[in-house]
Amino acid sequence: MSMFTRSDKPSDQPSGAQPRETASPAAPAARAQASAQTMPAAAQPAGARASAPAEVPGVSVISKALRITGQLESTEDIRIDGEVDGDVRGLTVTVGAGAKVNGTVYGDAVEVSGTVDGKIEAKKVVLTGTAHMSGDVVHQEVRIESGAFIDGHLKPEYGKSAVGRAAHAPKLAPATAHVISEQPNGAAKA
Amino acid sequence: MSALPIANLGKMPRGQDADALPVSELGTAFRVKGLLETEGDLYVYGTVLGRINAGRVIVGVHGAVEGDVVARDVRIAGRLIGRIFALNVTVDSSADIEGRIFHHTIAVERGARIDGRMPWRPPSYFETLDQLPETRP
Repeated sequence: MSMFTRSDKPSDQPSGAQPRETASPAAPAARAQASAQTMPAAAQPAGARASAPAEVPGVSVISKALRITGQLESTEDIRIDGEVDGDVRGLTVTVGAGAKVNGTVYGDAVEVSGTVDGKIEAKKVVLTGTAHMSGDVVHQEVRIESGAFIDGHLKPEYGKSAVGRAAHAPKLAPATAHVISEQPNGAAKA
Repeated sequence: MSALPIANLGKMPRGQDADALPVSELGTAFRVKGLLETEGDLYVYGTVLGRINAGRVIVGVHGAVEGDVVARDVRIAGRLIGRIFALNVTVDSSADIEGRIFHHTIAVERGARIDGRMPWRPPSYFETLDQLPETRP
């Protein structure tokens, strides 16, 4: 019925890539096609990616079909092409054209080509020509390209009120955040 | 709460449409609390606390999900606490699952740790899954 139900080979996990691909003649073709068009970087079947730790990405991609209601945080880069209703914290946050964020975007560097309705707090802020920003921008450096829409204040105050601002950085979850059981006592309370 | 038509889950086209949708990836350092909705693929290598509605969900080896997952296809290689509602479920050997797996077809690899029941449901169950059962169905 589906590619996901085939397990006729006792594939072993760590060695990774081949077993699932060779499992059936029909499914891999479709899957290879899918992964080729959606992930040009890795021409491997989806199954192999899920089980190969070496390929685990640090960068997160919120594609345009994804909508998130809630808070996002990462100690790595985040690229948003979809819709986020809530706050975003990342290292480099890119809000792509067509993307929409309702909430505050915190980051080291924030580049906006889409719509942000809320606030940006970042050391380095770039608003490209297609950006639509409603709200304040707290920054150290800012670049606004011609064509950008901005309705709000630009405040070159990022990092100045050290107590308030510095509080954001340590809030980023540590790399070990995937251990769920640690979270209730963790410092991740917003 | 959810705009994604759960009712359409079982009817989703298996071919071109689903595969043409963009892929979302949540990296290892990524943590999100809330509701995630997509009709495409979602790879979780980080941490998700909350509900996922998607066409296909893949939880990577170091990925962790705490909450309910509703999708057409689900593949778990990481950790999951919560319920799965999916037509097709694949559980890899590195998986660690606590909760119920509502499925139509399932494959479990040797070595996987599953603590919970795995109720079978006909495809019509997933098609008519307008809202998730709050308690024991």
